[in-house]
Amino acid sequence: MVSPVHIVSIGLITAFLLGLGKKSQQQMLVFVLMIATAAMTMVSGSWLIGLMTGSLKPTDVFTAGFKPPFAINLRMTMDEAVLTTMVNVFGFLTVIYLFDVLKKAGKHLLSIIVVFLIGLNVVVMTRDLFNLFVFLEITSIATAGLVIIIQDSKSISAGFKFLMASSVISGILLIGIIFAYSYVGNLNIDFMTNLSMVKGGAVAVFLVMTAIILESKQFPANGWALDMYESAHPAIGSALSAVSAPAILFVVYKLMPMVPENWHPVIGLLGLITFAFSNFLATRQENIRRMLGYSSVAQGGLMLTVVAMSVYFGQSFWFIILGFLLTNFFAKAGLFWLNGIVNSDDQNKWGILRKRPVLFFLFGVFVVAMAGLPPFPTFFAKWEMIMQLAQGNGWGWIVLILLGSIFEIAFLFKWFGRVFHAVKDQPAEPVIPWFKEFPVMLFGAGILATSYYFIKYQQFDNLFVLIPLLIVAAFVVIDFLPAFIKNILLIAALTFYGYIIYPEIKGNIMQLVFMSVFLVGGILTLIPGFATKGTRAGFYPFAAMTIFGLIMLVNPGDNLTFFMGWEQMALGSYILILRGKKAERPAQQYMLFSAGGAYLMLAAFGMLPHFAGDTFFGNLSGLIPGAGVVFVLFALGFMLKTAAIGLHIWLPGAYSEAEDDATPLVSGVLINAGVLGLFWIVTSFGPQQLFGYDIFQLMGWIGAITAIGGNMLAIYEEDMKRLIAYSSVGAMGYIIFALSMDSKLGLLIALYYMVLHFIYKTMLFMSAAGVIYRTKTRNMYEMGGLIKSMPWSFIVVLIGIITLAGMPPLAGFAGKWMFYNAVVMKGWYLQGTMVFFSGIVAFLYLYKLIASVFLGQLKDNHRRVKEAPFVYLLPQFIFVIAIMVLSIFPQVLLEPLATIIPDRVPGEAILWDGRLAMTSFGYWNAFAVMTTVIVMFATIFLWLTYHSRKAQKVKQFNIVFAAERPFRPETTHVSYNMFAGYKKALGWLMTPLATQFWTGISDWSTAIADKVRSWYTGNGQTYAMHLLLYAFVLYLLISGGKIL
Amino acid sequence: MEYLTLQNIGLVTGFMLMLIGLYGALTQKNILRIIVAFTIFDAGLNLVIVALSYIKGRVAPIIDQTTGVTNLSEKFVDPIPQALVLTSIVIGVGVTGVMLTFALRMFKTRHSLDINDFKQTKW
Repeated sequence: MVSPVHIVSIGLITAFLLGLGKKSQQQMLVFVLMIATAAMTMVSGSWLIGLMTGSLKPTDVFTAGFKPPFAINLRMTMDEAVLTTMVNVFGFLTVIYLFDVLKKAGKHLLSIIVVFLIGLNVVVMTRDLFNLFVFLEITSIATAGLVIIIQDSKSISAGFKFLMASSVISGILLIGIIFAYSYVGNLNIDFMTNLSMVKGGAVAVFLVMTAIILESKQFPANGWALDMYESAHPAIGSALSAVSAPAILFVVYKLMPMVPENWHPVIGLLGLITFAFSNFLATRQENIRRMLGYSSVAQGGLMLTVVAMSVYFGQSFWFIILGFLLTNFFAKAGLFWLNGIVNSDDQNKWGILRKRPVLFFLFGVFVVAMAGLPPFPTFFAKWEMIMQLAQGNGWGWIVLILLGSIFEIAFLFKWFGRVFHAVKDQPAEPVIPWFKEFPVMLFGAGILATSYYFIKYQQFDNLFVLIPLLIVAAFVVIDFLPAFIKNILLIAALTFYGYIIYPEIKGNIMQLVFMSVFLVGGILTLIPGFATKGTRAGFYPFAAMTIFGLIMLVNPGDNLTFFMGWEQMALGSYILILRGKKAERPAQQYMLFSAGGAYLMLAAFGMLPHFAGDTFFGNLSGLIPGAGVVFVLFALGFMLKTAAIGLHIWLPGAYSEAEDDATPLVSGVLINAGVLGLFWIVTSFGPQQLFGYDIFQLMGWIGAITAIGGNMLAIYEEDMKRLIAYSSVGAMGYIIFALSMDSKLGLLIALYYMVLHFIYKTMLFMSAAGVIYRTKTRNMYEMGGLIKSMPWSFIVVLIGIITLAGMPPLAGFAGKWMFYNAVVMKGWYLQGTMVFFSGIVAFLYLYKLIASVFLGQLKDNHRRVKEAPFVYLLPQFIFVIAIMVLSIFPQVLLEPLATIIPDRVPGEAILWDGRLAMTSFGYWNAFAVMTTVIVMFATIFLWLTYHSRKAQKVKQFNIVFAAERPFRPETTHVSYNMFAGYKKALGWLMTPLATQFWTGISDWSTAIADKVRSWYTGNGQTYAMHLLLYAFVLYLLISGGKIL
Repeated sequence: MEYLTLQNIGLVTGFMLMLIGLYGALTQKNILRIIVAFTIFDAGLNLVIVALSYIKGRVAPIIDQTTGVTNLSEKFVDPIPQALVLTSIVIGVGVTGVMLTFALRMFKTRHSLDINDFKQTKW
């Protein structure tokens, strides 16, 4: 086997050879460099493979014929093999990526690259402290050289700032090394583990460690690094982030054994502070390279935490660190390289990626991987890290991680959304040379392969996790096919999946109900897609991801699978929403609120084991004492999805701006994920207290206020989709209220209403999609009189709103009847009245919906409007049939639903006597009601028909217009500013408090971020000062003001 | 007076030089002066290294007729820091050289050597 020392020797020989070359041979020299880096990769790679397969043993290379500590030794174990392979592969790809630059640059630049790689390799392998210092210096000098590949004033001054900073750092390091030597008499790391015990030795450890921590660019002493990221060539930024930073962190790891154990948490916290703050400041960056710089620094902070706490994490350490390390390696490098391809720091210019589907897809993969969403390794690593920290009650740590993560999501997806929509005004087809694309693609493959192994390692390669992901991947591959083929395939895949999963869940009615909602809902909402022409690129993978994510929620078995499904569903639906024409901002809001909810849940998952061990949160026995905080975190997380009042501001935008035929999926179907979660926590936790308050009581109020608020907001909407969207807020308030009653009847209402809301809301949104498809507008005051041209859509809306309003004879009435019973039983009269009032408010907007769209005057430009396409109507009528069946035979659904509710839930249940439903307050017979209504209706109808048999038919314009012609006819439309009178009376209720609150939060954070980042003045001396201050503060933190 | 050994004088002088160097590097506005300050810092650092390894009454670790070949460990000062300091000096020179190169380039881009003129990247 080739000794690892040859990684260095190959590099050195190459550097000399390059020196001998002539200027005219530059291209050949680049190839020499390419071969050398390939050879270095092969040496370290063969060690990696050998160590993994067990054919090689970890080894030490001795130099100068002495054993340590008398001579320097290089070590090659699994750790070093991984890191040196990363460094060398990266070096090789950098040479390829920079091919055009290197061809023109002098041969010195080639040497600098080799020296940079040698430096990092030795920094990783050496066990000698002074040797470490020497090679850190070599790496620094080489880095300074690499920073000025682009020779402009920015990069040169950034390089100088870096040199100043590294001089200060190396001074601290060298003093530390010399003190260490004078205390223990040698320089070998492995012989220094007792250094801090020696009198004065702790100071030496402190100096060495501080220098390395400073070198790893921790906030806030990292201005020099940020300036370098901003001004250096993206390929170099990539190197700093993907290989330099990990190498330095590995040094921290090597040195940790000599660091006293009570310092570990201090260093760990420093890393997390960096993570949280750097991501926070990144949200304010417009310049992509600087933003990536902040993000790299943040990732470095997170990894520092893991490394510093390696003893604490124990068995999980490797899993966590590899998750972060590899993701950062592949994804960050990929993003920097894409920056080089786009060749602009302006987000809008990134639109050219949209012209290259593969690159754009990889861009998305990198962003999602960085953001820590499934199925990428960071997701699992973050989960494991939080679980471990929670076990040790490290709540403050968890808060920092989650804060940092949400900021990370904020800027990453703001960027992604901008690029997604920046496709306009782009030059036709960008010319991208193969050697720029190749490394990106390789790293894209790398992150995907890593994810696969992470999933496999955790034994998620099963029917519920891996298979759906593979289906999603398959849809990515066949994305070039026409939309209708993919539509057929996805429907077929879902049907088949339902067929094979049915035996697994048929015994569990709860799962069956939710699975039907998600699977059938998914399939039915896909059907209108047949009306789409073209390929509809990018829709199907994410539709599949959303639906399969939802399916994962139903039968998770453990908390991680549930959370994974939850995040997948959030990601998929985010993309579906983002696809809408004006959806950039709404989608961003949706993502932020989703992530916020998910992180609250993540914290709850972390706390849960303290109360319930490893049990899945939906399977608890109920009545777990003292878990109020966990319950509240879960409830908030789920209520973000169901858009409880105050947390609802994302909903109208997200639902209305999504593509019209995607809205039913992301609204009517997806919102039930929140209901599922709420139902689970209510049943499995039981009544909980928070600071002595009954949480169910609180939830009941939230539900009632949400019901009123959502409906009030709906009545003033001019936009058809926003109106229906706000109505969802109201409906969810109703469900939250029903759940919080925590009675048999209450929970039954919630489940029943969930199914019903799913049916009518999906139906209404589809119908709206059909109308919008034909009329090309969402404003209801631009419509009218469509009943003649779209009678079928009219019928659907009519059925939908009667159901929603809860009027007999349709299925909604069953809910209302149970509701009266439940409220009276519970004695929540005030809240109950509010919810009833909200039902009356609902009449107003339902009337508006049907009257202004279908009744009244037909608009001139809609004279030729046809009925909605058949594929739109088909699923709607399937839903209509379902409603009709439920209206006549509600027990078909209600009886099985009642069996789901656990026995511990108090209260009276419904007794069924054939078709008669009974409670102690009364009875109700849906069949009889239906029959009565039909008979009444038929009688009146026949009488009217008979009575008006001589009436004259009047066409639209066969009337007399009075007064003058209005200047803007649409303002005279009945639905324009409809209910203005109510607005005058109750408008004060509608003060957009929630919007103001969230805008305030956003403004405040912007202002704070701007204040904080003004710390980075751009002056090299200030940065050097920061380093010294940081060291000083760190000393105070560690020593507590005493002499070490 | 017992503290006034050669080693302590060396250490104190070394640390003083380091502080002077740092002070200069943080307060001088002229880039060349900053570089000079860093070389002073380096010199102080190297002096500290040498002083730490100094043992009173011993000689440099070079074998010649005066030292003989026996009991060398009792005659010599610690040779390792002596060797390290050489490396450190070399690195110091290297870094100074690179910094001077940067100073030259910076002057060429903006015709100024005032560090405050090079704040294009910030926040």
